[in-house]
Amino acid sequence: MTTSLVDRYVFTALRRVPEQQRADIDRELRASIEDAVDARIEAGEAREAAIERTLLELGDPDRLADSYADRPNYLIGPELYPVWRRSLMALLTIVLPIVVVVVAVVQVLAEDAGVGEVIGSAVGTIITVGAHMCFWVTLGFWIVERTGAGKDDLNRPWTPKDLPRYEPGALTRVQFAANLVWPAVLILAIVLQQFTFTDEPLLDPANWSFWWPVLIALVVLKGMWAFWVYRLGAWTRQVAAVNAVHGVVTGGVILYLLASDHFFNPAFSGFNGTDVDLEGWISVAVMITTALSIVYDIVDVARKAEQARKGLGVKIPGTGNTYTAG
Amino acid sequence: MTTDATLASHLQELRRGTVVVASLTVLRTPGYGYSLLETLSESGFEVEANTLYPLLRRLEAQGLLTSSWNTDEARPRKFYTTTPQGDAVAEALRTEWARLDDAIGDLSTDSVSTPGSDK
Repeated sequence: MTTSLVDRYVFTALRRVPEQQRADIDRELRASIEDAVDARIEAGEAREAAIERTLLELGDPDRLADSYADRPNYLIGPELYPVWRRSLMALLTIVLPIVVVVVAVVQVLAEDAGVGEVIGSAVGTIITVGAHMCFWVTLGFWIVERTGAGKDDLNRPWTPKDLPRYEPGALTRVQFAANLVWPAVLILAIVLQQFTFTDEPLLDPANWSFWWPVLIALVVLKGMWAFWVYRLGAWTRQVAAVNAVHGVVTGGVILYLLASDHFFNPAFSGFNGTDVDLEGWISVAVMITTALSIVYDIVDVARKAEQARKGLGVKIPGTGNTYTAG
Repeated sequence: MTTDATLASHLQELRRGTVVVASLTVLRTPGYGYSLLETLSESGFEVEANTLYPLLRRLEAQGLLTSSWNTDEARPRKFYTTTPQGDAVAEALRTEWARLDDAIGDLSTDSVSTPGSDK
């Protein structure tokens, strides 16, 4: 039984050692164990106890094997960990919400889903898509960690130029991207609802002769405005004025269509089947939301422009600090 | 963390790497795993068998040690010897160790004045 203990230990350790090293480590490890056991017996221990103590000192054979094979005991090492965390955070906080919103919008338009269904599927999307993101990013980084391929590209050295710019006005690249993604999604939704999501389009098809193209053009203009601000790198009075005019026009179009019952398709049946005037309530809700968000946007941009003009600093979220360019 | 645990972790940090210098130095005369373990612990280096044995193979792979099997005795043993390259590395490491020892010695005597301490 006692000899088999050494055998079992050596076999267990060798299982996880590369094959070409196995025979050599086998002989060496056995010799080392025998040496240690002999020394213990000479010091007066019984053979069985000596073997047990020796193996106990060598410790977990899997760890010993990792040590022989020079295998790292981690998934992603300290070199790549910050890059991995940053990538995952960007995916989970920027891409995941967009996916969830798109899925929810498609569901509402395509399947007439109720509030409960939409919330349920949103939670489902967060869990499944989030898990996929975590898994594939981690797998990718694990491969880079083990093979070393592309490690230098991922982990390029930090320079002071990488610091965030905190300048009043300048749209960050992420904000600019968001300002382009939303118009694109909106236009896609307006166009697709005509053809695919529902049997009868949600929005009034009669408006394709004039109002929907106008609305799409306005959305495109907002994207171009964002590009202008991004290139300019500053909130100026012109930027604020153009934004205000654009907001008033866009709001005017939407409110006019809603108020005059030209927004929703009269043939759309999704609003029927309830006792209350669902279409009327939704029109009011959309009007209020549109008006509030446009007013907020106009005021917000004007405030930023005013702050930039006065040379006031911008508040940096999470620090309580104010940064003044200078 | 208790003071003992803190001290233990700092001591471990400090000792890491000394085993390499010691092994390369001792193995200028050929030796096998268990003999080296004994020699090191007798000379006051705390090293575990499960650290030392894989380390010897790594040093061999780096070309700092060579090895050969001695089958003359009843128990075949793998003998390691420091290569000239390993000797050079050990020499550089010992020099660095001595330099650090001097530097720390200088710090702990009062001959060094900290900038700003005479304010």
